[in-house]
Amino acid sequence: MSTDALERRAPADVVDGAARPPSGPAANERILQIKDFCVDYGVDEGAVRAVDSVDLHLDRSKVLGVAGESGSGKSTLVYGFTRLLRAPALITGGTAFFNVGPASEGGPNEFIDLVTANEATLRRVRWTQISVVIQSALNALNPVVRVGSLFNQVFKAHRREMSRADRRARAIELLEMVGLNQDRLQRFPHELSGGQRQRVMIALALALDPQLVIMDEPTTALDVVTQREILSELAELRARFGFAMIFITHDLSLLVELADEIVVMYAGRLVERAGARALYDAPRHPYTLGLLNSFPPMHGERQELTGIPGAPPDLSDMPGGCAFHPRCPYAMERCTTERPPLARLSEEDRYVACWLHVDGAHAAVPVELRQAAPTTSSGEGGAA
Amino acid sequence: MSDTDTVVSELEARHLTRHFKVRVPGHVLGAKRIVRAVDDVSLDLRAGEVTAVVGESGSGKSVLARLLARILTPTAGELILGGTPIAPKARRSLAYTSDVQLVLQDPFGSMNPVHQIHHNLIRPLRIHGASKDESRALAESALRRVSLEPPERFLDRFPHELSGGQLQRVSIARALCVQPKVLLADEPISMLDVSVRLGVLNLLRGLCDDERLAILYITHDIASARYLAEEIIVMYAGQVVERSRGTVLVDSPTHPYTQLLIASVPDPSNPLSLVPDIGEQNLTTIAQEGCRFSPRCAHVMDICRTQEPPAFLVGDSHTSKCWLYRDRPEVSVEMPIPKRRGEGATTTT
Amino acid sequence: MKTRHLPRSPKVVLGLGITVFFLLLTIFGPYLAPFSPNDTSFAANLAPSWHHWFGTTSLGQDIFSQTLVGARATIVVALVAGLVATALSTLVGVSAGYLGGFTDDGLSLMSNVFLAIPGLPLLIVIDSYLPVGSRSNALIIGLVISLTGWAWGARVLRAQTMSLRNRDFIEASRIIGESRWRIMLTEVAPNLLPVLASSLLFTVLYSVGAYVTLAYIGLTSTSVWNWGTMLFWAQANNAPLSGEWYWFVPPGVCIALVGTGLSLLNFGIDEFINPRLRESGLTARQRRRRGLPRRVRLGLTPVLRPVVAKASGPAATSKAAS
Repeated sequence: MSTDALERRAPADVVDGAARPPSGPAANERILQIKDFCVDYGVDEGAVRAVDSVDLHLDRSKVLGVAGESGSGKSTLVYGFTRLLRAPALITGGTAFFNVGPASEGGPNEFIDLVTANEATLRRVRWTQISVVIQSALNALNPVVRVGSLFNQVFKAHRREMSRADRRARAIELLEMVGLNQDRLQRFPHELSGGQRQRVMIALALALDPQLVIMDEPTTALDVVTQREILSELAELRARFGFAMIFITHDLSLLVELADEIVVMYAGRLVERAGARALYDAPRHPYTLGLLNSFPPMHGERQELTGIPGAPPDLSDMPGGCAFHPRCPYAMERCTTERPPLARLSEEDRYVACWLHVDGAHAAVPVELRQAAPTTSSGEGGAA
Repeated sequence: MSDTDTVVSELEARHLTRHFKVRVPGHVLGAKRIVRAVDDVSLDLRAGEVTAVVGESGSGKSVLARLLARILTPTAGELILGGTPIAPKARRSLAYTSDVQLVLQDPFGSMNPVHQIHHNLIRPLRIHGASKDESRALAESALRRVSLEPPERFLDRFPHELSGGQLQRVSIARALCVQPKVLLADEPISMLDVSVRLGVLNLLRGLCDDERLAILYITHDIASARYLAEEIIVMYAGQVVERSRGTVLVDSPTHPYTQLLIASVPDPSNPLSLVPDIGEQNLTTIAQEGCRFSPRCAHVMDICRTQEPPAFLVGDSHTSKCWLYRDRPEVSVEMPIPKRRGEGATTTT
Repeated sequence: MKTRHLPRSPKVVLGLGITVFFLLLTIFGPYLAPFSPNDTSFAANLAPSWHHWFGTTSLGQDIFSQTLVGARATIVVALVAGLVATALSTLVGVSAGYLGGFTDDGLSLMSNVFLAIPGLPLLIVIDSYLPVGSRSNALIIGLVISLTGWAWGARVLRAQTMSLRNRDFIEASRIIGESRWRIMLTEVAPNLLPVLASSLLFTVLYSVGAYVTLAYIGLTSTSVWNWGTMLFWAQANNAPLSGEWYWFVPPGVCIALVGTGLSLLNFGIDEFINPRLRESGLTARQRRRRGLPRRVRLGLTPVLRPVVAKASGPAATSKAAS
């Protein structure tokens, strides 16, 4: 474990180890603010840092895409701030402020720090405000419980006042919302196809109309056509209910269509953050560029692609400095010793953790990493 | 026609069919339904070429791979290896094993966790007659062929010490140990990290070009099929619905299912296209009569529901199994038969 | 093999300790015994004393010596029975599970029959047909016991084999042309080692019980000392009623301890098979030092806030609980 990770633990707005929640006029729109978040597996010498000082934020009704490969920490990050990780995971730093709405009518929105929240608070927030759709629906759904009972469990846990008829009616409504026939209520999970199971998971996640829905690779195990259907369904539901979404995946091309903003993670660190279109058309980090080049195109002449040589690093044996430098075609001397901070690019609303883009870099930025970012009406990205 | 003179067919499948009897859920006695997992599939694997089979789960592509590897026996149809027909009911011979090899999808699952890597490479060599001393040297050269160098570093490791990409290369090396003519790859990259996939794809391409292997590449990802293959075959519900050489299938698909498939692939350069949502491929939406895709087809006509369409020739080496093209010539044997090892002139239909 | 985790859980260490202790007793017991167990020259019915640690029997024999010497026969027979039964169950279970079809049907039928037949009555019947001379032969008795103890293990191994059979690496072995028997022996069996070990432990446990019962009923030769025979004599001389607890308690406790030791060892194997059951990398002491909860609850990932120290290196960082 490198020493610089621990020593850099005192960011600017931390007072006595406690960060402050968002405030000001824009605060009501911000539903999630994570700062300096760290997760370790194990303690002392054997500890492996799975998530290293990640900053994230998410506004109401927006979609945040978290992209990365295995070992990138994308799932650990998200399950971490919702306190769903299992032993031997430990949260070793940072804050995760979540907007729980105004305490009184017309007042400012309150934020709670999920990291320090106790069990009662978490139970209040879970599923009513934040819900999770996890990766493998077959594993997530209890095989001996009918689909209808799953809905019952959710309602009984959080909405005791609902009557049996109410619960059933609401369950049918939710199933129709995701395009399933009400006779699915009687079925067991193994009687449904993969896509249908995923739809049930989505319906369950939306049962209590949460503010934030987290999706962990929901379509990875599904076929391309089913994936497309589920994504259209999701887009419709979002338009209807206005929930915010965090979408974790390794498939960057999915995110470009779906997300407003994308963060790219590598070896537990956040390496780039930008608007979706801007990131796709004009990547700034060499890893993002390599990742985008790893998808064979559907059009154009066939030519040999190289992808990214090597393999993602072993988290227990990380290289010094920038985690990506052993595989980076543009690596400089500095990259091997100093870890680049996540810095805002001048004139653009995007962030990169790369020494190439720091003023005074000894090497010129290669042309493929300084493409003009698209000007879009959504205000993401600006002209280079 | 000069290129067909030099093309050598290594493994040809003609009208391969495989049925399974499945118990109908809810009926305890009797009532069994026949699932036609692979239905009348013909293909030709040629030396130095990659043939891609694209399909989703339930399309029968994995069953097809196992039929070609002869781990499953076909209900009908025949296989022709290097010009010699194989008796369908005969047991799989060691000679067949040494000519046709299969690489599986899960790199971690296809290695026995209790054995070191060298075990996986030396066993096939010993089974096919190499001596103990030869085996070690041959194993090392197999690892070099898949760019795992230095080989000594990998031979004594255990599977859990290697990454997914490395393990998949070991899988390929294992298959190469017996010097096969045909390599069947069942979704070899779908469980690998994105940044590692191209490396393995390029490896397959390299093996094909350098060693004149015939490679069957099975996948659900049509983009990688387009990248790698000389011929692309699209399967739906056990049948070949469209096939072509080159990229014409992806650039201008003719069959409605292929069109649906291609429209569903996330393509950031085109905005979210509206795709008609007609439910998923499961046992109940595959028609038992007529065209199997008819329940989901946007262009369905009356004839589609009653009669199964034959394959029509819609372009140069491009066929499509759809009534929309009934004015085109029918194709009975689906591909021109190239010269096989030991045969004389070519014949084409 | 995977990196060996030295057993850390106190249960397992205790189990290991007990088992090793009794194994040593098996080897060295007869040498350590102060007197011959048959020697009737002492005063009868003596309570435990410095001279006779466990007292003496109604015939004037030293109970302590009997206990020490008795360990050997009890444990050896149990081990023989356990090993033979496990070997049988492996053969039957793996073959049934892997080969399937009629072989599976036939072997499963056989296991089910043996499972259904009550073990002890069968043992008694078989034993009563044995010629008297061979009843003193540990090997023969062990074989007889193993006949009734293999069926359960066979079922478990069959189920495990059936789930292994569909794994990709088994299919890969078939693809390269490996023969069925080699696959069963070199590919399937090594993956069954943890289950086999557990099965062995339980079978040995069962065999201890079976042997002691047979001896208690008097079906084994009384010339061979074992704990069951001690109980037999104790019962025959009304020891419980005359308050001579020191006669039957030592062998009883020994039997119980052996059983406990084996069961605790089994926990260790369970933890080895399922890494989730291990203490997840943190011992109780480490947990307490950092103020972490004793039990990590699901849905409540613990938080540990490091305090940055001025000293160099991560090892010098002190940690305080949040």
